[in-house]
Amino acid sequence: MKNLDSIFWAYILGWAIFFGFFVSIAKRSNDLRAEVDRLKRSLGNSQEK
Amino acid sequence: MAKRVLLGAAAVLLVIAAAYASFFVAPEERTMGVLQRIFYFHVSCAWAGLTAFSIGFLTNLLYVWKRKDKYDWLGVSCAEVGVAFTTVVLISGPIWAKPAWGIYWTWDARLTSTFILWLLYIAYLLLRTLIEEPDRRALLSALFGIFAFIDVPIVFGAIRWWRTQHPAPVIMGGPNSGLAPGMRGTFFFAVFAMHILMWFLISERYSLEKMRSDVELLRQEAEAT
Amino acid sequence: MGLLSNAAALLSKEVRTEFRSRELLSTTIVFVLIVVVLFSFTFDPTTSESHRFGPGLLWLAFLFAASLMLQTCFLREQVNDTLSALRLAVSDPFAIFLAKIGANTLFLLLTELLMLPVFAALFNVSFRGQLPGILLAFFLGSLGISVAGTALAAISAQARMRELLLPLLLLPLLAPILVASTEVTVSLMAPEPFMQWKGIGFLVVFDVVFLTALWLFGEYLLEE
Repeated sequence: MKNLDSIFWAYILGWAIFFGFFVSIAKRSNDLRAEVDRLKRSLGNSQEK
Repeated sequence: MAKRVLLGAAAVLLVIAAAYASFFVAPEERTMGVLQRIFYFHVSCAWAGLTAFSIGFLTNLLYVWKRKDKYDWLGVSCAEVGVAFTTVVLISGPIWAKPAWGIYWTWDARLTSTFILWLLYIAYLLLRTLIEEPDRRALLSALFGIFAFIDVPIVFGAIRWWRTQHPAPVIMGGPNSGLAPGMRGTFFFAVFAMHILMWFLISERYSLEKMRSDVELLRQEAEAT
Repeated sequence: MGLLSNAAALLSKEVRTEFRSRELLSTTIVFVLIVVVLFSFTFDPTTSESHRFGPGLLWLAFLFAASLMLQTCFLREQVNDTLSALRLAVSDPFAIFLAKIGANTLFLLLTELLMLPVFAALFNVSFRGQLPGILLAFFLGSLGISVAGTALAAISAQARMRELLLPLLLLPLLAPILVASTEVTVSLMAPEPFMQWKGIGFLVVFDVVFLTALWLFGEYLLEE
């Protein structure tokens, strides 16, 4: 049924957008966390000096 | 951490349940048949988007008044989540319209106004990328957010009036007009589910923004030493 | 000195500065003319339908011109660093906005009134006897464009890419102005002209809402 196709695509695309948004947040969070570790390490090093 | 996972899981489960209800619980609509079922998804996304923008508006006001960073973080989170939901509305609409009307887009009042709403908040997000200084960015984007939000009812009203002057096919009869009792339950459940999803996405985005701000402070500390 | 007398003094300064060189007005008028001429290539302006499409294109031309004209709104103060002096000189920062809105509305109105007969001639549209109504629509529309435009110019002046940013912020915001002004103007230029009071109503609502918003939040726009 053609109409079911349209509904299927609407749901899939919609959920893909929400999922993509969530994944982008998660990725940016991970990158930030890595940078926090890097910064904390370099701060730790400079404090030891 | 556990709270976040719980909220995320709840959001996913509720959204799946709402989809199930849309297909297997709600009665079939007389004129449009199975195609009408997209309505539960399309309209509940629209409402959640508007809720996100409304919360954003309140946080914009609070930022201008109190100047606390958390209101700025909440503001941008609400705007981004609102744009995400509105994007889904703008995509599901045409997918519905094509089999129903044979055309992808129709400049019907609600869809047109939603498009402008979307453009306004894209402009808000672009504005934020063009101001580097964090306090300035927070204040100016909050002010633009306020102007954008108060414009929204005027946009919807003016375009609806314009459409009465130049009638065109209406995509959805009207969510609250002629909603049969069996449909009402499914509809409000879908609205509830989308709002939980909205809450989850906003809180995730908020955590990211808060982390960004902490990192910025750390970065400045590292440069100072 | 009261708010209005402050605003009036600043307004006369803005107008006098512009009329010394008239460069803003002349470039704006020529720009509208260019846009109108280019629009004529996109449809046949001599058909009887030109009174249906023409006013919309005319208002689009006004909107584009305004979003360029408003770029300079705070530029002079920025370049010469006079904004803080201006803020000290007046007790209510809203006076600064009132003056700029007044000036911008005036410049836009002058442009529109100069373009009206040119447009009517080029597109074979008649506005005989409808001048008061058209004046009202032009005034309310220009006021709305100026209020929103001045506020957003204050924002974009503090950001990067301001030449592109101002239209980006302004044009979606002005959608109601475009819709209502076009509708009113189309009705006044129709073969059987009539006044669309509902359209005027929307223009008034927009103007009042945004003037109020600017009165409430204007001082934050000028914060240093």
